[in-house]
Amino acid sequence: MKTKTFLTLLFAIFTGVFAGEAKPLSYVGGTMVMQENDETGHTIALDYTFRPTEAFGIYIKQEESGKDILMLTPEINTLLKRWNLPDGQGNIFNMSGAGVANYRGNNQPCLWTAFLADYETRRWFFSYEPRLVYAGDIESSFWQRAYAGFAPYLANYDDLNTWLLIRLDHHPAKNDHFVVTPVLRFFYKTIWVEVGYSSNNHVMVNWTVQF
Amino acid sequence: MRHILLTLVILIGLSGSVFAETIHTTVNGMVCAFCATGIEKTFRKQPEVATVKVDLHTKLVTITTKSGKTLSDEKIKEVVTYSGYTMGKIVRAK
Repeated sequence: MKTKTFLTLLFAIFTGVFAGEAKPLSYVGGTMVMQENDETGHTIALDYTFRPTEAFGIYIKQEESGKDILMLTPEINTLLKRWNLPDGQGNIFNMSGAGVANYRGNNQPCLWTAFLADYETRRWFFSYEPRLVYAGDIESSFWQRAYAGFAPYLANYDDLNTWLLIRLDHHPAKNDHFVVTPVLRFFYKTIWVEVGYSSNNHVMVNWTVQF
Repeated sequence: MRHILLTLVILIGLSGSVFAETIHTTVNGMVCAFCATGIEKTFRKQPEVATVKVDLHTKLVTITTKSGKTLSDEKIKEVVTYSGYTMGKIVRAK
């Protein structure tokens, strides 16, 4: 299984299937609330950007699929590298947290780390995110996520921006190893919403507000 | 006559310092509304700045200063860099 996971990861990297989601940093002094509801569970994160390359916050996740695992960790999000191009932007972020996981009254120390690589122009968006979670005997897992999509029209700053994307999730530890979700993403200035319906019949609703 | 000319010269000289300045700068990497918001809010925090407009089509940020105020190229570069982006070309108009 480990070899298969590694090969899948390599495949995703070398075929250019990058994945993505809302960036985990805003502007200095900015606060972001990010909430995800999808086939993996429910997540909420509250982050404050205190330096151009770093944000600090709280991450809470309740996992579904009958496990009912609750994770609560402080998190730190770091911009490791940014490429500012005349018509595009590329980034590599690291997000990491350390805290507590709970499963039916059993509390365990919990660690997680993820990397997010994205590249976007005003027309195209690609991202890729591998994530490792360790929570003692409650959970130890690796999963990865990729997004690819495009904007059907080029909206300006004051317009509603619309994106059509495909999201691919690979969760080796779950029943459905591969899940595909067509996604409709909207954002208007500092409000970002995406909705989708996954191949394993789950509704996805994610949103981010920056203030 | 000499006094009138001298007064005019002084007034013309002073008038330049009471007008607001409009500055246009292109920003590399500004491809989405989230990026633009960060740049807009960081410029708005500058005491010299009256208004900020962002155009994603042209990647152009237009800054109007308060009367009698200006922003140096170095300051503009500092704000753009602090917002996480790279400054392009600057064009100024009084």
